[in-house]
Amino acid sequence: MSSQQDDLKETDTEARFEFKKEEKSAFKSEKGLTEETVRVISEDKDEPEWMLERRLRALEQFQEMPMPTDWPGQPDLSEIDIDEIVPYIRPDIDVRGGAESWEDLPEEIQDTFDKLGIPEAEKNALSGVGAQYESEIVYQNMQERWEEKGVIFCDMDKAVRDHEEIVREHFMTKCVPPSDNKFAALHGAIWSGGSFVYVPENTTVEMPIQAYFRMNSEGMGQFEHTLIIAEEGSEVHYIEGCSAPKYSAFNLHSGGVEVFVGEDAHVQYSTVQNWSKNTYNLNTKRAIAEKGGRMEWISGSMGSKATMLYPSTILKGRGASDNHITIAFAGEGQDIDTGAKVYHNAPETKSTVESKSIAKDGGRTNYRGLVHIADGAENSSTAVECDALMFDNESTSDTMPYMEINESKVDVAHEATVGKIGDEDIFYLQSRGLDDDDAKQMIVSGFIEPITEELPIEYAVELNRLVELEMEGSLG
Amino acid sequence: MSTQAIESLSEDTVRRIADERDEPEWLLKTRLDALAALETAELPDVIQTPGRRWTDLEALDFEALVDPLNQADETERTAGDDEVVVLPFTEALAEYGDVIEANFGSVLDPEHNYLTALSVALFTTGTFVYVPEGVDVEDVTVRAEMNSRSLFSQTLVVAEESSSVTILESIETGDSEVADDRYFSNLVEVVAGENANVQFGSLQNLDTDSYTYSLKRAVTDTYATVDWIESNFGSKLTRSDIETELDGDGSESQIVGTFFGTDDQHFDINARVWHQAEQTTADLVTRGVLDDVARSVYEGVQDVGEDAWNTSSYQRENTLMLSDDAEADASPKLIIHNHDTEASHSATVGQVDAEDLFYLESRSIDSRTARNMLVEGFFVPVLEEIAVDEFRDDVEDLVVERLQ
Repeated sequence: MSSQQDDLKETDTEARFEFKKEEKSAFKSEKGLTEETVRVISEDKDEPEWMLERRLRALEQFQEMPMPTDWPGQPDLSEIDIDEIVPYIRPDIDVRGGAESWEDLPEEIQDTFDKLGIPEAEKNALSGVGAQYESEIVYQNMQERWEEKGVIFCDMDKAVRDHEEIVREHFMTKCVPPSDNKFAALHGAIWSGGSFVYVPENTTVEMPIQAYFRMNSEGMGQFEHTLIIAEEGSEVHYIEGCSAPKYSAFNLHSGGVEVFVGEDAHVQYSTVQNWSKNTYNLNTKRAIAEKGGRMEWISGSMGSKATMLYPSTILKGRGASDNHITIAFAGEGQDIDTGAKVYHNAPETKSTVESKSIAKDGGRTNYRGLVHIADGAENSSTAVECDALMFDNESTSDTMPYMEINESKVDVAHEATVGKIGDEDIFYLQSRGLDDDDAKQMIVSGFIEPITEELPIEYAVELNRLVELEMEGSLG
Repeated sequence: MSTQAIESLSEDTVRRIADERDEPEWLLKTRLDALAALETAELPDVIQTPGRRWTDLEALDFEALVDPLNQADETERTAGDDEVVVLPFTEALAEYGDVIEANFGSVLDPEHNYLTALSVALFTTGTFVYVPEGVDVEDVTVRAEMNSRSLFSQTLVVAEESSSVTILESIETGDSEVADDRYFSNLVEVVAGENANVQFGSLQNLDTDSYTYSLKRAVTDTYATVDWIESNFGSKLTRSDIETELDGDGSESQIVGTFFGTDDQHFDINARVWHQAEQTTADLVTRGVLDDVARSVYEGVQDVGEDAWNTSSYQRENTLMLSDDAEADASPKLIIHNHDTEASHSATVGQVDAEDLFYLESRSIDSRTARNMLVEGFFVPVLEEIAVDEFRDDVEDLVVERLQ
């Protein structure tokens, strides 16, 4: 494991994310969004009729809903013109639904994921890996021992065909219906790719499962769907990584994530998002936790031009619990509007939210969160803690929590602080022989440490590298 | 526009109000402009979350609530000192017309929203407080009784350089023949000059047939201090906004709030501060108790502007729930544009601590009394922030009364 860490440290992170490959596709839809586009996508995927119907219904809902513009202080979405987006690009590969060997992939795709360090990580620390290039999963593999236990990890498109019943029941029905918001509806109409994870009762998948999403083409939209079902007493950790090279035109990422946490099950969902700074990242992620179930969301939002992401958990069963850990880093031209949503709908439910944000060089971060405690959810507790760090006067740091408490036998606490890097701290470190840049970097690493220590080591290293990279850009 | 037009309102109504009071031309024009603004003005912003609107102001039936020509109040004003001017707004116009004209609307734009415009167009009562340079007075009181279906009040406080004043106002329901719903609107503007110090305490205890809208706003000059105490006990529905714009370097503001809701009372309490100069300080402290099916909505905003170097800004909100059917919503917001800032906020909702209760009961105090003692204790941190004894006693008495 340590050799991999060194390897990650030595690689030039910027070069690893910023490279572009020539656009090459087997099938590329027209720009824009019409019923025809939706039919073409569905047909190209050879989908059952019910899925096409769901897509068309979502399209209708998308067309009816207005763009969200009235959230206080929300990122500017006016640049997003759905008609300019290429919603569907099927990469040029022989095997649909994910090759099982990296060697079966065309060289440039193989090279892309090599540079991103995915096959290396697979060997060392993961139970399974999925890799999506443009609109479809190109590689999917899981260790045999998990397959033997009945764990399913496959491409979402494939799951629609191979696990039709269970997908039909859970896909954008009770967790994230397309009517939830405009971009959930858009997602429902033109979703493509993503992962399906099924963990049977009392099964613990010891090492994380990872999916990596890469957008390569200019002006495309990626709309992968992830559905995780963890049955009673099971445990799984799912990791998602995202990146794209930067283009002048905007890209749109609007993923959908649905997680079903069974009784006493435990699901951890970790994301390190490093989309290029022309990407709009507008996702809907939601989990429903049954009795005694535990959901953990760990999110690092480093990239994108604008992010609106509020992973939510519905604590449906008695004693269910939720833990959110969020880091947002906004540099020049970035608007990272992110937070957490938790609904306490049963007694003895518990949630904690820890958010850390850093704004510099004119970037904006906002913690926007909602905690709702329903009448009857007695003996529930929630604690929300937000800390923000600001580097300069051009940046903005907002905190907008909302609390709705309908029950008296509860313990509700929210706390937030905003501050700058302490001159005294920098002075102290400088007196120990560190230069100004290193001192600031060290303070930032310390600031986010409570969060990085929750991540698997590879991700902690990765996140730290990304933070360092962001810091280098400005000081110098 | 989302608000319904009030058919009984016309230019004539406004002219009659102004004529009866012999008002100067500029004020009539301000009133008529406000009336015209009703066409396009929006109701105050209300917090919305997915599927929920925290306060429903649109449900208010202004057609039925507003009765502009029959406003009646009984207001006692004491100055406590000859050096300060404390007059009913209308009377003050004759002698202090120039000061009023120069300051009216400078802090609070009459056309800020539908309810402020309505209030400026129709007000018939209110107080003008003028504290000349260097004057220091402590005992300005304004005790008002509302005796009509609707009452619109407009208060202007002008505190000149290095002056200091403490003002306590209270509003209650008087004897009135109006049996059903009533509407009270209270706008307060405070102009705090250089190094001036203004304390403004307000106690609202109208009966529960009343709807209250109150917006109090101050602008501070260099080194000025404006401290607000806003206590809400009465009304069926209260929308209260306390706002300070810290415009002068080194100026400060404290906003202390208390509320106590029983039955189906609804409080929408807002405290907002804008830091727009260097070395400014703000401290927002609100505590409230909810019983029965009462509901509270709280928004606190600390907005630190780009030029607000070396800002300190703090906010705390705590709600105590005595009943399972009550609801407490809160949204403390930080909006920070200057990194040279120390800012924090916190909000909590909870119940009476079971261990504390057990302790008191083990001392042979019955559970009702024990609970009441703990509720009184809950308000202590806020009461301690109230520097005026008389006001503190009033608030304490009302808390005790509510607990009976």
